[in-house]
Amino acid sequence: MSKSLFGKFLFVLMLAFVLLIAACNSDEGGEDSSDNDGDDTEQNESDDDDSDSDSDSDQELYSIDDFESYTGEGDAIDGGSLTFGLVSQSPFEGTLNWQFYSGNPDSQVLSWFDESLLQYDENYNVTNEGAASYEVNEEDSSITFTIEDDVKWHDGEEVTAEDWAYSYEVIMHPDYDGVRGSSAGFAYLEGAQEYKAGEADSISGIEIEGEKTITFNYTELTPSLLTGGVWGYPMAKHVFEDIPVEDMASSPEVREEPIGFGPYKVENVVPGESVTYSKFEDYWRGEPNLDEVTLKVVSPSNVANALETGDVDLVDSFPADQVVDNIDMPNVQWLGMTDLAYTYIGFKLGDWNADEGEVNYKGDEMKMGDKKLRKAMWYAVDNETVGERFYNGLRWNGTTLIPPSHPAWHDDSIETPTYDEDKANELLDDAGYKDTNDDGYRETPDGEELVINFASMDSSDLSEPLANYYIQAWDKVGLNVQKLDGRLHEFNSFYDKVGQTGEDDPNVDVFMGAWSVGYDVDPSGLYGRDALFNFTRWANEENDELLAEGLSEEAFDTEYRQDVYSQWQELMVEEVPVFPTLYRAMMVPANERVVNYDISVGSGVYLYELGVTQEEPVVE
Amino acid sequence: MWKFIVRRLLITSPQIIFLSLLVFVLASFMPGDALTGAIGPDVKAERLAELREELGFNDPWYIQYKDWVAGILQGSLGESFQYKMDVEDLIWQRVINTFWLSLVSVIFIYAIGLPLGILSGRYNDTLLDQLITGYTYIGFATPIFIFGLVALWIFGYILGWFPTGGSVDPGVESGSIEYILSKLQHLLLPGLSIALIGTVSTVQYLRSEIIDTKQKDFILTARAKGASERRVYNRHIFRNSILPIAAFFGYEIINLINGTIFIEQIFSYPGMGQLFLDSIVIRDYTVVTALVLLTGIGAIVGALLSDIILSLVDPRIRIK
Repeated sequence: MSKSLFGKFLFVLMLAFVLLIAACNSDEGGEDSSDNDGDDTEQNESDDDDSDSDSDSDQELYSIDDFESYTGEGDAIDGGSLTFGLVSQSPFEGTLNWQFYSGNPDSQVLSWFDESLLQYDENYNVTNEGAASYEVNEEDSSITFTIEDDVKWHDGEEVTAEDWAYSYEVIMHPDYDGVRGSSAGFAYLEGAQEYKAGEADSISGIEIEGEKTITFNYTELTPSLLTGGVWGYPMAKHVFEDIPVEDMASSPEVREEPIGFGPYKVENVVPGESVTYSKFEDYWRGEPNLDEVTLKVVSPSNVANALETGDVDLVDSFPADQVVDNIDMPNVQWLGMTDLAYTYIGFKLGDWNADEGEVNYKGDEMKMGDKKLRKAMWYAVDNETVGERFYNGLRWNGTTLIPPSHPAWHDDSIETPTYDEDKANELLDDAGYKDTNDDGYRETPDGEELVINFASMDSSDLSEPLANYYIQAWDKVGLNVQKLDGRLHEFNSFYDKVGQTGEDDPNVDVFMGAWSVGYDVDPSGLYGRDALFNFTRWANEENDELLAEGLSEEAFDTEYRQDVYSQWQELMVEEVPVFPTLYRAMMVPANERVVNYDISVGSGVYLYELGVTQEEPVVE
Repeated sequence: MWKFIVRRLLITSPQIIFLSLLVFVLASFMPGDALTGAIGPDVKAERLAELREELGFNDPWYIQYKDWVAGILQGSLGESFQYKMDVEDLIWQRVINTFWLSLVSVIFIYAIGLPLGILSGRYNDTLLDQLITGYTYIGFATPIFIFGLVALWIFGYILGWFPTGGSVDPGVESGSIEYILSKLQHLLLPGLSIALIGTVSTVQYLRSEIIDTKQKDFILTARAKGASERRVYNRHIFRNSILPIAAFFGYEIINLINGTIFIEQIFSYPGMGQLFLDSIVIRDYTVVTALVLLTGIGAIVGALLSDIILSLVDPRIRIK
């Protein structure tokens, strides 16, 4: 008897759980479908609940200013070994050659044993600190590079001008199937297109002037060349000479016994999972500090454990959503720098004209065509709070489209809209967006219903609450914004919809994406009239002019170029085809024993100086 | 027997052709392609368009299918765009890892499952049985990715008994004794994690079969003939109870060949499951289609294997 009673009790309990779960679900589902009549305060509350449960409840705030990119110079012991964790869900591809690699994991593996001949400063300009120094010859639009005398490949052969020319010949070869070969260093290079088309046996614009001296002749000089445009990686010609270009990427010379001229040389590759390096004593900057480096793949789900137990000393990156939970890890020092990236919200203002290869801006026809509407949507969102609540301050309000990772180019004096609901309402009223039929939402100036479709990517656990936040913020100023198709979109389909192939989905009105920016500050690849990735399809003449000026010969003068890009940043704030939402910090943990390491570029601290203060990792 | 196998293979080959066709058509509906991940300010759209043309991404699916079939007839599964190597080499690299992991898991599964199942069935409704059934319920309820993480945390990180990731220690010379031992050591924890969770259904099947068989008349007869208890269990009951498990063996192996995506990810173990998932996410079509084909063939061979095993174990079942 009692047994069956207990059974019944269990059954009821389970039923209750089921109901509870169902109730929770329907709560969430309600937000994007039928909340038209719900009053505002209630929605605000549920919004607050959402973000509370998603971000940490203790809400400790951090700022990128509290972190340095440098571990400091400690008493490094002679030699020693270090384990580097490559944080990745999946094995690295193993295309270990700068000419052919395609993903970040491979580039992490590569950077220990091979490097660019060119060194960059903190603004990502080429300096003469690298293995090659340069001289610009303005009369004949060419740049001459001289490689240092003692730069040697790991097999002892000299790195020569010939090797450098060879990497160009491989990348521009008709059989080459990597994505490289379109940056300024190739696009402006004389004779490169003829060679690529198979009309010439060599690239006429490359002149080898001696064993170590090479001149690249360009059709036109542009400052982009020296801010990341010139391809600075030589390719060991004596190793690859006899391999056909189409077989190179799969050859053992790339995959199993890769060669470079960096501080460490590859001893052993376990495909996809680990690489061991030993020091290269003849490294051109000097003998490296460490005897050995081991690189291994660590899954993002255990990287915190791996650091805590000293299983790895250093990692390439750390999952952003775990940083705050682990920031007090006792045996670890946190390094931080401003990431070369920004998140943005963009407005569809036209479509792509594939015949002309340029954007077809038609602001008047598009739903988001009114500048005031777009600006009001910027005013309506509180990005500072988003950064604090979702990322504990490790992402923060973005202002212009050149992020502060490029300190010389980012103009922080520009006033940009920050959260101001009244201002947003005022702008909308001004522009004639009024609620004429009392449904709680504004109609267009012509009196038609205004429903704005918002496309957002499903990339992390935070994607959904983040998208909901923005929708609710716009709701508060009376704009009816709905998720496109009522849901978030997977990476591939998101970019298909916003138009990576040029066939834009006409249903997208607003979208949220993120760009990581290259070394070169030139934004024309993302916002130029002829840029396919200019997903807003916005362009105007002033934009064309400024982008062209930023690449002109006058722009070799840094101040002139700064001024051009300041004007451009201001123009984008004025026109709002997109607005940046968040800038982000890149946070990298390192074991306490790691010294002489800097995650930023142009710090003057180089990888060969990296050292450890004791034989074993610090474990608490 | 051989006739049966050949006939079976003949019947199933159209299934494989249909499967490959289906994959191709479905793949063509997937948004994006292998180059979507490459977009950015440093890569010109024209270069990507050029590559799409060169690599045949723009061709309609039937052209791509035709090329693919032509490739297979020449013994090539194509080249992976992401890995820049031949698909068969890539899969080979991974399938070896997965094979060893599967083997170790299967050994563990039966090494744990059979004794527990027999004990539990033989002494049913005792404390021992309740403990074992309790374990199986917990096993059923525990998701493998949680269990794997916890096991890794405790035995890998806290106790440090096992390596925490990869399939072999970095830097060990391939082929040496040390290499083999290191490989084995890396297999133990993921293998055990899979087995401890995976074995519970084996235990349960075996237990209920044994309890069932125990009450059959022929057991009574055996006992009446004076057979020892040991003989009754080992010869009469066990042999009859093992049938459903034997029938399952083939499928079990195929499941494991496909890889266990969670365990592979947690232990950073480069196997097939991961390769499959990654290839879908990054739209590395050549790899996806090759893997689907392989899995399809695997499933068919697995079913065949199960039937053959069944006929060997149970004389009542005859293959015609």
